[in-house]
Amino acid sequence: MRGRKYWVLLLVIVSILSACNSSDGASSSEGKTEIDFFHRWPNEPRKSFYDQKIEEFMEQNPDVHINVDYVLNDSYKEKIKVLVSNDNLPDIFSSWSDSFAKNLVSSGKILSVDDILKEDTEWSSKIVESQFEGFTFDDVTYGVPFTVDGKAFFYNKKVFEEHGIEIPKTYDEFIAVLDDLQKAGYEQPLVEGLTNTWAISHYLGTIFQRLVDPEVLAKDYSLENAEFTDEGYIKGLEVFQELTTYMGDVSTAIDHEAARNMFGSGEVPILYMQFAEIKLVEEIGDVEFGFFDFPSFKDGKGDQTALTGAPEGWMLSKNAPEEAVEFLKFLTSDETAFDFTETDGQLNAIEGSVTAENANETSLEAYDLVLNATSVSPWFDNALDINVADVFMRGSQGLATGQSTPADILSEVQQTVEGMK
Amino acid sequence: MVSRKNKWIPFLFLLPSLLFLGIFIYIPLIQNFYNSLFEFSVFSQTKEFVGLKAFKNLFEDQIVTTAFINNIKYAVISVLFQVFFALVLAAILEDKLFRRAAPVLRIIYFVPVMISISVIALLFGFIYNPQIGILNSFLELIGLENLAKPWLGNSTTSIYAVIAMSQWQSIGFITMLFIVAIQKIPKELYEAADIDGAGKIRKFFNITVPQVKETMFVNLLITVTGSMLVFNEPYILTNGGPGFSSMTLAVHMYQEGFVKDNMGYASAIATLIFILTAIFAVIQIKVSGTGKEE
Repeated sequence: MRGRKYWVLLLVIVSILSACNSSDGASSSEGKTEIDFFHRWPNEPRKSFYDQKIEEFMEQNPDVHINVDYVLNDSYKEKIKVLVSNDNLPDIFSSWSDSFAKNLVSSGKILSVDDILKEDTEWSSKIVESQFEGFTFDDVTYGVPFTVDGKAFFYNKKVFEEHGIEIPKTYDEFIAVLDDLQKAGYEQPLVEGLTNTWAISHYLGTIFQRLVDPEVLAKDYSLENAEFTDEGYIKGLEVFQELTTYMGDVSTAIDHEAARNMFGSGEVPILYMQFAEIKLVEEIGDVEFGFFDFPSFKDGKGDQTALTGAPEGWMLSKNAPEEAVEFLKFLTSDETAFDFTETDGQLNAIEGSVTAENANETSLEAYDLVLNATSVSPWFDNALDINVADVFMRGSQGLATGQSTPADILSEVQQTVEGMK
Repeated sequence: MVSRKNKWIPFLFLLPSLLFLGIFIYIPLIQNFYNSLFEFSVFSQTKEFVGLKAFKNLFEDQIVTTAFINNIKYAVISVLFQVFFALVLAAILEDKLFRRAAPVLRIIYFVPVMISISVIALLFGFIYNPQIGILNSFLELIGLENLAKPWLGNSTTSIYAVIAMSQWQSIGFITMLFIVAIQKIPKELYEAADIDGAGKIRKFFNITVPQVKETMFVNLLITVTGSMLVFNEPYILTNGGPGFSSMTLAVHMYQEGFVKDNMGYASAIATLIFILTAIFAVIQIKVSGTGKEE
């Protein structure tokens, strides 16, 4: 009698455990090596581009199966953190440079690519060397850069010509241009999708870089002995606040994509935009556009012609199979890179893969600018700790809605920094 | 009667549910509290013990205050619409006058409940859109264009825009629960009231309301605790913005954890949410005097 009871108990437990188990076992597909690939472009044309490249790779390597997953920008930043924390890191995935990459590397789950680069110099020597910087920490490289990028003000050439507007060189001239455009009937001469905090960070990053002494900036961004007391920050936030007054009511309710569409349809004549978006704008309509550098500030202490922008690339998980390395090389080969710029328009970091054949004049001009910039500063949200960046970014949303003041934001930043020490 | 010999059998039947509750609810709850005593990042395996520092920070964090006020707004408005208005709606649908139209109307009210919240949030994103949104276009159409605004981009309206969407989605569910309760009320009560010459409104307050008290209590519990936990709606529509104006506790918790990488502090917020919902549940159970039928 007693024995039977234990049998029942055992049965219950075993059935529960086996139910938990059977779900894991079922997923492997026919003895092929599986590679988990995670990128951040569910939008076209890039999604199709990668889908096609995956197909090609699987055809060349019949015993490899690639599982792909993708989510967009801000969501990607969140999801990759979840994946790192619960040991589900994909084998190969996209990454930004600098602090984003550094955080991932600090998990200890990212494979160093030094050996891979050394072993196959035929492949690695083609990658523009300057772009590795944002993926190298303590002299160890953890990522392979693939795209290069930068940010500039894009303007509608026709509108500028029609109203006899000159390209502004200084910030004061820029404000005068915005005023002129407003007089000419453009209620919003400038637009941005302020619901995307990263879009705000791009503005702030460039403004601070121009205004604040580079040494102070480096000290504050590194968070060691950070103070954030420089008056440049207040001035920078005031500059951003002034710019939002030209963006109209809608800016706090739309995202960057909507803003880009407004620029592409000719509704708004100026947009602060990445070079990566050139092709996207061309596809919206037939607006003829050019670009100019972020205007310089008279009393700015930083390099007034520095370029804001950073490469993005690929990283490998420590548990990645051999085949994932092959896939990485395939993704960063000059052939893939050439096709990539041709389909997508974004510039790449592989030498000889951006030519007049696959890029238009505007893109080539941008490519030159990126490779020859006097100095490059990374995206603001990758340049410093996200806790501090978030106070700046969300605070600046408040600036646009009139909810907070530059002084409020800076004192909150100081508190946050103090709390982190 | 359970004989002495078999007294362990009932526990055996309870075992699976206890096991699941333990693994998926109680252990994580304890683990969460344990985690809130540490400072750690998802990227690193080391945890630094900081005691109750995270809880101290909770009281100094202005975002927690904003989020809590938003949750309270959520609760108050939800109770108003989903408990009181839904009851009125249910009573109307069960009225003789609507007998023919009631089945159709019931389905119409219930459809939003069956649509995924992500889909609804994307849909309302379009409705509230300042340029092409139908809400602003509608206001212009009826000559109220000065009321048109970027609903989600304005720090005073954003939280209400989010709450409004939730009401639209959830009212059908609560109405359905009330309809079931009303159908269970013995017809004799209404007939007796008819003989006494009671009007519709009198019947509603003197028969319907007291008879569905139990359901009302359950619905109150669902909506209030639900309001404390709300995450999807603000996360998809506004991500807590602009600034922190439409932040709720759950969104704040998520962002501290997975955007800003302060896992310990996020655990502390989770504990706060748990305590709040527990307090509200206990108060409601006490006030409404247990869950027994009278």
